[in-house]
Amino acid sequence: MTLKCVSCGSCGFPMEKPEDFALGDPSQPYCRYCTDRAGALLPYEDVLETNARHYVETQGVNPEAAKAMAAALLASMPAWRDRPHA
Amino acid sequence: MRQASRKEQKDATQRRLVEVGLDFFAARGFANSNTADFAKAAGVSHGAVFLHFPTREALVLRVLDVFGDRLSAALKAAMQGEASFEGVLRAHLGVLRDYEPFYARLVQEGPLLPIRARSLLFIINASVSHRLKLVAEAEAAAGAMRKFAPHLLFNTWLALLHYYLANRDVFAPGESVLSAKGDELVAHFLDLVRKEAEKP
Repeated sequence: MTLKCVSCGSCGFPMEKPEDFALGDPSQPYCRYCTDRAGALLPYEDVLETNARHYVETQGVNPEAAKAMAAALLASMPAWRDRPHA
Repeated sequence: MRQASRKEQKDATQRRLVEVGLDFFAARGFANSNTADFAKAAGVSHGAVFLHFPTREALVLRVLDVFGDRLSAALKAAMQGEASFEGVLRAHLGVLRDYEPFYARLVQEGPLLPIRARSLLFIINASVSHRLKLVAEAEAAAGAMRKFAPHLLFNTWLALLHYYLANRDVFAPGESVLSAKGDELVAHFLDLVRKEAEKP
């Protein structure tokens, strides 16, 4: 049985160390990659772009396909699931 | 009070259905299984399945999410202390071996699954690829390994594993193909990527 760590409410990134969280603060719901310097959640398009790039860089996925896969994952995240047309 | 305990009961049933789902889909696959058989395996009525999951896809996605969380946590824990390229390969292999029946189904049926399920597998693999890239760069800098584009290095390793997983019934009938062939695959891959001078 593994212990489930907190994951970012925007992208699902597992946050274990304080520096993984926005502002280095473990009470924040989002990770440092999904937030700006003030700890505010970045716009959807920026988060989508960052996540899609991850697929491209690590596995050479086609950029458009990477965007579609990232959008499919973000659609279930608390930060974006109520967003019209995910 | 009554309400809370009913909710707890519902949550417990849902968790149990997910656990059954992990074994059920590993054994039966996603495309060729139905909710009536799933209900039988879980020991509940067919209608009860839909009380917890409105559609078959919702059930499949929930099971995949739980599997993804576990696989991802196990990979992270296994790779954390590995500083060598071989160590990361073996850690990756070891975790996939632990989760082999379900993971092999994902490999076999991945392209037929909803895009969210496929993206889950790719995002998990992204973390392995990233880890492999870091140790590969360090070993290449030390002159022990040839240099590769990170995505090609990872995809080549994954292609090897996935080929054996997709055909596990003929490579290792009745047993874990990664247990039976794992050492051979690691040795072969290391032989491909190591510089001539480093090869034994």
